[in-house]
Amino acid sequence: MTSNRPTTPRFATALAAVTLLAGLCAGQAAWAQGKGIDEPFRDAYRKTLSGKTVAYVPVALGFDLAQGWLEGLKKELEPLGVKIVVRDPNWNTNAGAQAVTTLISEKPDVIVVHNPDVQTYAKLLQKAESQGIQIVQINMRSAYPSVVYVGADWVEVGEKATTAVVNACKGKSNKIAIVQGALSAAASAYTLKGVENVLAKNPDIKVVSSQAADWDAAKAKGITQTVLKQHPDLCGIVGFWDGMDSGTAAAIKEAGLTGKVFLATSGGGEQKGACEQVKSGAFDLDLSYDVPTQASNMAASIKWLLQNPGKTGTAKGSIYTTLIPITKTNAATEGTCWKLGKS
Amino acid sequence: MDRTTAPLGPAPVEERWTDTLTRWRYRYWPDHALGEILAKRWMETAIPVIVLLLVAFALSQAIPNFLSPAALADTGRQAGEIGFIVLGMALVMIVGGIDLSVGSMFALTNFCALYLMHVLKWSVAPAVVVTLLCGAALGAVNGVLIGYFRLRAFLTTLITLIIYRATYDLLTADYATAIAGGLPESQVWDFIGNGDWLGVPTVVFVYAAVAIFGHIFLTRLRPGWHVTAIGGSRRSAYNTGIAVRRTVALCYVASGVLTALGGIFFASRLATAGGDIGVSLEITVLTAAVLGGISLGGGKGSVMKALVGTLIVLLIINGLTTLSLHGGYNRMVLAGILLLAAVIDIRWLKNRHRIVNKVYVSPTYHGMPPLPSTAADSGTAWALNDRLRPATPIGLGRIEGPEDVILDRHDNLYAGSRHGDIIRFLAPDYERMEVFAHIGGTPLGMAFDRNDNLYVCIGGMGLYRVTPDRKVEKATDETNRSYSSINDDSRLRLADDLDITDDGRIFFSEATVRFEMHEWATDGLEARGNGRIICFDTNTGKTHTVIRDLKFPNGVCIASDGQSFLFAETWGCSVKRHWFDGPKKGKTEIVLENLPGFPDNINNSSDGNYWMSLVGMRCPALDLAWKMPGFRKRMAKRVARDEWLFPNINTGCVLKFNEKGEVLETMWDLGGQNHPMITSMREHRGYLYLGGIMNNRVGRLKLDGADPDFIQYDRRWGKAA
Amino acid sequence: MKRRPITQQTIVFTIFVLMFAGFGLFLPGFLTAGNLLGLLQNVAILGILGLAMAIIVIGRGIDISMVAVLAVPAGLVLQLVQDGHSVPFAFVAALALALAFGLVNGWLIAYAEVPSLFTTLASGLFLAGLGQVAFFRLDIVQWSPQLDQLSWVGRGTLLGVPMPVIMFAAVAVLVSFFLRRTRLGTYVYAIGDNPFGARVTGIPTRPVIVLQYVLAALIGTFAGMVMAASVNSMPTRIYNSTLIYDVILVVVLGGIGLSGGRGGVVNVVIGTLLIGTLLNGMTILDVSYSAQNLVKGVILLIAILIDSFVNPRNEETAQQGDI
Repeated sequence: MTSNRPTTPRFATALAAVTLLAGLCAGQAAWAQGKGIDEPFRDAYRKTLSGKTVAYVPVALGFDLAQGWLEGLKKELEPLGVKIVVRDPNWNTNAGAQAVTTLISEKPDVIVVHNPDVQTYAKLLQKAESQGIQIVQINMRSAYPSVVYVGADWVEVGEKATTAVVNACKGKSNKIAIVQGALSAAASAYTLKGVENVLAKNPDIKVVSSQAADWDAAKAKGITQTVLKQHPDLCGIVGFWDGMDSGTAAAIKEAGLTGKVFLATSGGGEQKGACEQVKSGAFDLDLSYDVPTQASNMAASIKWLLQNPGKTGTAKGSIYTTLIPITKTNAATEGTCWKLGKS
Repeated sequence: MDRTTAPLGPAPVEERWTDTLTRWRYRYWPDHALGEILAKRWMETAIPVIVLLLVAFALSQAIPNFLSPAALADTGRQAGEIGFIVLGMALVMIVGGIDLSVGSMFALTNFCALYLMHVLKWSVAPAVVVTLLCGAALGAVNGVLIGYFRLRAFLTTLITLIIYRATYDLLTADYATAIAGGLPESQVWDFIGNGDWLGVPTVVFVYAAVAIFGHIFLTRLRPGWHVTAIGGSRRSAYNTGIAVRRTVALCYVASGVLTALGGIFFASRLATAGGDIGVSLEITVLTAAVLGGISLGGGKGSVMKALVGTLIVLLIINGLTTLSLHGGYNRMVLAGILLLAAVIDIRWLKNRHRIVNKVYVSPTYHGMPPLPSTAADSGTAWALNDRLRPATPIGLGRIEGPEDVILDRHDNLYAGSRHGDIIRFLAPDYERMEVFAHIGGTPLGMAFDRNDNLYVCIGGMGLYRVTPDRKVEKATDETNRSYSSINDDSRLRLADDLDITDDGRIFFSEATVRFEMHEWATDGLEARGNGRIICFDTNTGKTHTVIRDLKFPNGVCIASDGQSFLFAETWGCSVKRHWFDGPKKGKTEIVLENLPGFPDNINNSSDGNYWMSLVGMRCPALDLAWKMPGFRKRMAKRVARDEWLFPNINTGCVLKFNEKGEVLETMWDLGGQNHPMITSMREHRGYLYLGGIMNNRVGRLKLDGADPDFIQYDRRWGKAA
Repeated sequence: MKRRPITQQTIVFTIFVLMFAGFGLFLPGFLTAGNLLGLLQNVAILGILGLAMAIIVIGRGIDISMVAVLAVPAGLVLQLVQDGHSVPFAFVAALALALAFGLVNGWLIAYAEVPSLFTTLASGLFLAGLGQVAFFRLDIVQWSPQLDQLSWVGRGTLLGVPMPVIMFAAVAVLVSFFLRRTRLGTYVYAIGDNPFGARVTGIPTRPVIVLQYVLAALIGTFAGMVMAASVNSMPTRIYNSTLIYDVILVVVLGGIGLSGGRGGVVNVVIGTLLIGTLLNGMTILDVSYSAQNLVKGVILLIAILIDSFVNPRNEETAQQGDI
């Protein structure tokens, strides 16, 4: 006997199945749509930056600072399609002036300039900015303030170095020596001002010798040896560049006075030139102006400038580098110094 | 100006087709041009100019816009500034010294200009003058030390380099900030450094003016010659009385002034007194001078070389910097080019003469018909005889090289000698001889004019005249320069024979324009037709060339009609006649051709015919060689000069011919006992006087049946005996 | 009685003695042993280079590439060791470089007959550029600890005398032996005095000239090693300095004329002592670097002026082409 069972259960199953299916599909569709929002500014950024030219004119390519800056610029800017053009005057001021002159007629978007002295490029930089080229000055200023300066505050370098030497001299003979760079170089002259600032506050410190070693290690060694012979109780030396002061350190070591004479210097902070020397005891303090940070500061300024052209001649700003004082305490730490060739 | 090209010469009878080809090839291809170009003085600058062009080309390919006007203007500015210094260095190097202190002088004068303009705020003119004076003072220190105290240039300028550099460092330490702070407000000052006119920077104009003046000074003015003389040989210059010390000192002063000039432009352009200014500039300047070809020993150099060197150095330095290469490459390339240029230049300078000598001789095709026979039994007028044997010698062993002889109406005999004298033998016995006049060179053909002035062609000097009272005057030594000749043919190299027309025009032959007097035989080897006939008009004093491209024209004689003259072509073995007046004016006709020997002088005979001498005889070997120019060229290149095949000038004869071209008689000296070679003969009062350029005597032969009253020039001018 | 001529050597020596005495009297601390040794040490490198230059100048040449040959081969040693190569390998490479360089210089001057001033100017420039491009990463090449076994050439003392001075003395003895006791040394004098005459008498002038430049290159490399050991690095930027002019001054002032054929090691020593005393005294006086140069220049000028009065150059005997 067939009973008239109601079809409701079968219908309900079908309805349930359909609903389930519908629900699943809707869920699927909702899953497939995705709720991301496009960032509206990145396209404009990439389009603006791509194809721009940045020219780089260091004093010479052959030393750690110049190469470190170049590496940093390349790392930040080249992936964006910015072309970096390098001119190497190889320590020749005239060739540098000519390179900048030629660049002005080639009209890059930005020129990154490392000035050999305060005057040589001044007129040229002024001319460049009047023609719409943005000038970024790195580490050595010109008398002409351009739109951005990135670099060490030399007066601060002098002050910090001298303060450290003065502190180390507490209770000792209070005699110090100064080994300058070149008399006519801006960096040297500004650093000297910083030294003088601190010395003015410490009248009991006596400067027995203040000679310019012309950035030459052999000369620095010679000067230091003579001074040490005259004043074996010297308590500290302020050197103006670690590249040159390897000679100063060598003189101190030969006199057997390492550790007794406090040598404060400054430099780019490259591993071999700075951290290794501090670790070995040659330098007691090396103020690093941290080349990679300087490079990234420059790159950041350039990125901003390229997106905002036309600021030449009106806006001017400086980005002074925060100095990293390298002493025995942090010389062995990874990251205090940077390594050339590994960005 | 009546000027014709001589007809090509006798058409060769037996010309094979290979000969024809050779003839055309050598006629139409200017082989001689290469040697003449290489011999030019400006070829010395050739190598640096080539280097400059190569460098400019290579860089313009590698760098876009390298030669655009803006880039050129920039390079021009820098080139101008350094160019002045290179000019100063070139001057000092030419005088035999060197100036290493230019870099420091540049820095100091730059500082001086900046100090005056920026700090003391002077106006432009006095600042410029004072800066130039400052440069002069700095240079004068060098000049006094090197010129007057005779210190060594290298060491002294090295020391002044150090002193000036130290002075500069001390001064900038004090005043650099003041200079940086005070920019002058002067338009003129700005224009000097940064201005331009028609796109060309101001410094280029000033440099061009100074360079042109410098070039004129060195090449055309006496002080410039003194400078080169001192550089070339200081000792000789001193011995000839040149003020060596003063000149040397002034050269250093000039170097200082020029450096100051460069400094002024630099100061205006960059306005910087940085510590590095001028360091190693002396190396750059020295490199520029060397690259341009100025040699360190002194005595050689020019403004052009300095300019070329400056451009090469600047283009390389700027070009390589612009190529974004590491600075080290810059140095390597500059050093490599410097070395290469120095090596090539030295090799070129040393060997240039040798190369030129090898390349200069350019033989060409010269085809002659077969030799007419001169055998004694040939029955022709050429048959050998011994008629010259009875000639008596005059001045035997006492005169050397009487090429031409002439007698005046008092029967005195005049003959040239190889010492440059005109020797006169006094009538009637011709025993006494005296020097009538000393002229120099090699006296060749002679003639008297209406006023008894003796005109002489002097080989190596030109046409001269001796007045009856023995005063020597120059008639002419140059003619018009032809435009198509690479060699400067306005000079007379080998004036040979002359004759004088009735109205006072002198026609004389110049044997060759491509060779000097002492190389006349090489012209025979070339057989190129390098000679010409020139006319000197005694009435106006003007000289011009009448006929060109003749094969060693030699004897000239005015013909009987007074409107034409006969001339002999020695290597052409022919006699031609050229009309200079009358209905046939401008035409040239052949009178005698295919002579068996080389004709020399032609003179009148008493019976209306002409005497001519054959200075040497043709031989089959030379005739064949004349048809093979390639063979002669190889011989000239590979064989020593004294072994070359030369035309024979050891035996000759005298012949008489008429205007119709008939040879009437010949007279020989068989065996060469008395007069083996004869270059000229003169008939006078029944005697024939013989001269020969290699003889040590004048011959006198009695002529049977000749007019005993015949005096050549009196007959011509119609004077009574 | 034969009157001994007053040579430039004597004049310079007199000036040196005067200056030494003056400083000794008036400067405190000058005459101490320590200071005198320090004086010598400062100029020891200059002295070694001066010895090399002396060989060349006696042979009537000049070698402006000395500073490049000081900096580059020694710098190469340091760079190779820094990059991890073994010390012997680095040395062989540097020696090979120096040898090759000396041979090239010598060949160009003797066989290609390019004047020595230009050749060495160009070759020095080339070597400096080559170093910058191919060898060195940075202008200053740091000393590596692996090289410490060799640091004795430049550091430390022997019997109280600093090593660079000992090295200077050693090289001086060797060069003196070469010049005075060997046949080749005599050939060098002969060539310097009269090159054509030397050639005619059968002296192999061209190989001897090549030898001169090879020796100069080797001595220069040695000086470079001493310097690198001494200052703990090789500052290759030294090529840009005016060191070469100081070397020439040391040689010529000491009495070795630029026209060749005269002089010896004693002259170089005197010249070095003079310059060393001057520099040392002025450093003690704390005179600034530029003023030191000025004084140096003026004293040198006076020295050659005095020499020109005492030994005037005769127009008749002066040689053509000497500058």
